[in-house]
Formats: sequence, structure tokens, C-alpha cells
Amino acid sequence: MVSINYSSREVCCKIVYYGPGLSGKTTNLLYVHSKVPSKTRGKMISLATEADRTLYFDFLPINIGNINGFAAKFQLYTVPGQVYYNATRKLVLRGVDGVVFVADSQPDKMDENIESLLNLQDNLKEYGYDINELPVVIQYNKCDLPGVLSPDQLNAKLNPEGRPFYVASATVGNGVFDTLKAVIKLVLDKAKNSASSKMNRSAPVEVIKQQTPTTLQRETAEPVNPGLETPIVRDKQNDVYHPQSEYKEPSKSDVIPESPKILQPEPVGVGLSDTARIEHKVNYKPQYRPYPGSERSKLRQEAKTFDKYPVSTKGNSSSFATKSESRYESNSPVVDLSQDHLNRTPVMMPSLKKKEIKKRGLFRRIFGKK
Amino acid sequence: MSDDSLIIYEEEINKIDAHISKMIKGAEAKCALLVDKDGHLITRQGFTHSLDTTALAALLAGSFASTKEIARLVGEPEFSVLFHQGKKDNIHMSLVGERSILVVIFDDRTTIGMVRLYARETAVELSKIFEEMKKSVKDDNGISNDFAAQAEEKLDDIFQD
Repeated sequence: MVSINYSSREVCCKIVYYGPGLSGKTTNLLYVHSKVPSKTRGKMISLATEADRTLYFDFLPINIGNINGFAAKFQLYTVPGQVYYNATRKLVLRGVDGVVFVADSQPDKMDENIESLLNLQDNLKEYGYDINELPVVIQYNKCDLPGVLSPDQLNAKLNPEGRPFYVASATVGNGVFDTLKAVIKLVLDKAKNSASSKMNRSAPVEVIKQQTPTTLQRETAEPVNPGLETPIVRDKQNDVYHPQSEYKEPSKSDVIPESPKILQPEPVGVGLSDTARIEHKVNYKPQYRPYPGSERSKLRQEAKTFDKYPVSTKGNSSSFATKSESRYESNSPVVDLSQDHLNRTPVMMPSLKKKEIKKRGLFRRIFGKK
Repeated sequence: MSDDSLIIYEEEINKIDAHISKMIKGAEAKCALLVDKDGHLITRQGFTHSLDTTALAALLAGSFASTKEIARLVGEPEFSVLFHQGKKDNIHMSLVGERSILVVIFDDRTTIGMVRLYARETAVELSKIFEEMKKSVKDDNGISNDFAAQAEEKLDDIFQD
């Protein structure tokens, strides 16, 4: 089922590459991954055995960009083709929007193709889907090999219903994009039709209106929280994306340039991180109990300790002040002693030192000057 | 299984976000994701900057689905809570309503007990919201003709050999 998220402004569809083992489902995905611009695709994830056979699924997210103010995202999955893995194969089909059936065009693989197609039908039935209602595109793969069956011969056995089919060679890339384009078109068509039929309306619905759906609905319903009436555009800082994966989500400002930019008085996510940081700063502030003595000696103590725990400018290490920020980035010790330990006396952590001072104080107080 | 599309509106997401961030604060967790069982990310809160949430959502949903199948083999309809323990970071997954999973990622600042407690509370609140969502069937629905047409135009640009 198509997932439409009005908050993050994205439409998400799930497309599954199905077919017998070694028919080239993962190769299809690999080709798409290699050819599509990196800002369009995400990181490909492959749960495979050591011999590179798919164990659970391969996953490739694709974001074709901003359409009508919504980011259109497609999640491409493959299934493990081997008969043995039917349990996991079925799981991947959950919530599927469109299927690409990758068939092996070689004559001796025909039985496997038919078995896999029947298996697809059964597995879909278990989720309550009908294969005839679901967008299915058939791909006759490995057409570049010698002695393969012709599309007509394959159609006679695998495609009596006349579904759209493409002849392909996934290693070279022929027909891979045609298949993908076809299935995406079918998925969008189906989503469109089901939407309009559900509403029993003749006029097509505009996805983007100046009013957000929430306000539209409010005209009839009682406002639950009047403060949220206008669409909230989150702080850009909150809408972050890590460069570690190349997948680029369109920033909020790209998606809805026309909508008024209203910042929440206290954005929840941002507020949390800020307060957390402040708390940590307070916690990590070195605390010294006043040593019995003059105010000056206390200050000297503090200055000494700060000298011993220098604020390092090295990338990987952190200091007192930046500890909270780098909490999730590094495991390195708080104090950078890589250079200092050679020409200084061994350094103790403040807590230990504090204890020592306290002991001496106690000793003096009991047996000493007084 | 319902054939309805998953449609989420801002109003509901705001409510959900509020509950989740309250939970993160209470349990002192690192971050939390709400994931559809199909592998779509619904929302995220907390320190998710360094995470590839799209992939994470797909994998977590897959993990949950396979656990469900294991449960069935054992004779249990579904395991409602799943916990992965690591050296530093841990993941707690719990079922919310019928079709979503609340994933909490936390480290040694807090304990599993706290996370479980808060996650359970939040799951109850969230499932209430989902129930309401189900009841109030919205008039306006997903994809327009225009959307499909524009998407098809874009496809040709992107998918070139």
C-alpha cells in the first residue's frame, strides 16, 4: 500500500523484484544503483550469504524528487529466489505496491519460472492480494545468452494474461530501466485509481492545495488544537541528513516553497537536544570542594587542574566543554594525554584528586596544626 | 490485511511526535523511530542525525517480521517486544497498534527497565491515536492524476542508461 505522509511530505511505494533463484533480481538492483545519480538513490543494503546469494532481501531506496510538493520515494526490494527460503520471501511481500517478476529466459529454467510465479500467487494470496489486481511487470532476463527462448515462447507459458513484459539483460543493463519505469507507472496509476474510486468522485483530487489537509478536515470537525492549524515547517536544523549515506532527502524548503514558514515556539526535537546539552555541561563541570584555606589557594588549584587537562583541538578527542556534543561521536577518553604524559607527572582524574585532598585535610584537622 | 494506504496527516504526526519526545526525555533514550510494518518510516525523534533512518526502518521492519514468523512457529501469535543488546547501544522495539513498531535506541545512560516502562506507556497513547485515525476516514486522498503524470515525466530523466 502506498504510504503518504503529509507531515514529512513524501509518498512512499514498495516494489518487489520476485523470481526464481539466480534469475538476476539482485543484479537488476545493482544496475539501478550503479546508473542512477547518487542524489537520487540511497544506500543499497544486501542481506546476503557469504556466497552472495540473497538471504533475506536487498533494499534500495530511490527518491525521484519533488513532485507537486511531495517527495516521491520508491523502495526496491528483492526476495531470496531459492525455494528453500519461502518463509522469508513471503515476509518481503508484505505491503507491496508493485511486483517485477524476473524470469530466466533459458529453456531449462522454465520449470523454475513457473514454480516461482505460482509461489508468488500463493504468497500474495496469504496477504489478501490478488495477483491480477496488483501491478505486475514481467522481465525476461538473460536475453544476451545463446539459445534462450523467444519472448513469444515465454509469454505463452508465463504470461497468458498479457501483462506488460520486457526483454532484458541485467548485467549489461538492457531493459532494466524500462521495467522499472513500467512498474512505477503502473503503481502510480493504481494508487490514483484506487484513490478516486474510494471517494466515488468523478473529479480528480488535487494533492496540493493551499490549505493543508488538516485545515480542510477541520471545516467539519472541531479543532483539537488550534495552535497547530497552520502547517508547521520544522527548523532546518532538525531536518538533518547524514552524509554517511548518499541518499539525499529534499529539504523542507525545497518541498514547499509556497507555504508560510512558521517556526514552532519550541520545536520538540530541537528543544530536547538543547536541554540535554545544557544538563551535560552542568554535570561535567569540574567541581571542587573548597579546600580549607584561603580563596587564592582554591583558585590556584583550579588553574592547575585546567592546565593539566588541556582543551585539545584534536579531532577525535573531547574536552570538558565539548563532552556532551561529542558524546555520540567518539569513545575516546575525556582527556587527551597523548603528548603530555611524557613530560608531566601522571595525572589523576579530578574525583580521585579530590578524595586525596579531603583525606589530607581530615588528617591535618585531627592531628595537625590545630 | 487491509488494503488501505497509509496516510498520515500533520495533525496526527504532531501528536505522535509529542508523545515520542516525551518518552525520550523520560527514559533518557537517544532516539526513537516509529516504523510501519511494511518498512516505511513514519516519524523520528531525538538524535537521529547520524542514522540512515530509511535503511534502518526497512531492516527493523524486516527483523520484526521474521520474529513474528518465528513466534508463529513456536505457537505464539506475535512477539510484541524485541530487544537487541549491544556493547554501547541497545534497541528496544515494541508493537504499537496493529501496524506500527516503536523503536527506541538507547545507551548506558538509562536502563532497559526505564525504556520498557516508557515505551509501554507511549505505545498505549499512540495506539489510541491510530484508532482515532482509523475512525476518522478522511475525504481527501492521496495521489492525483497530476502527480502520476509528473512522476512519469521525471522517470525518463532519471532512469537513463
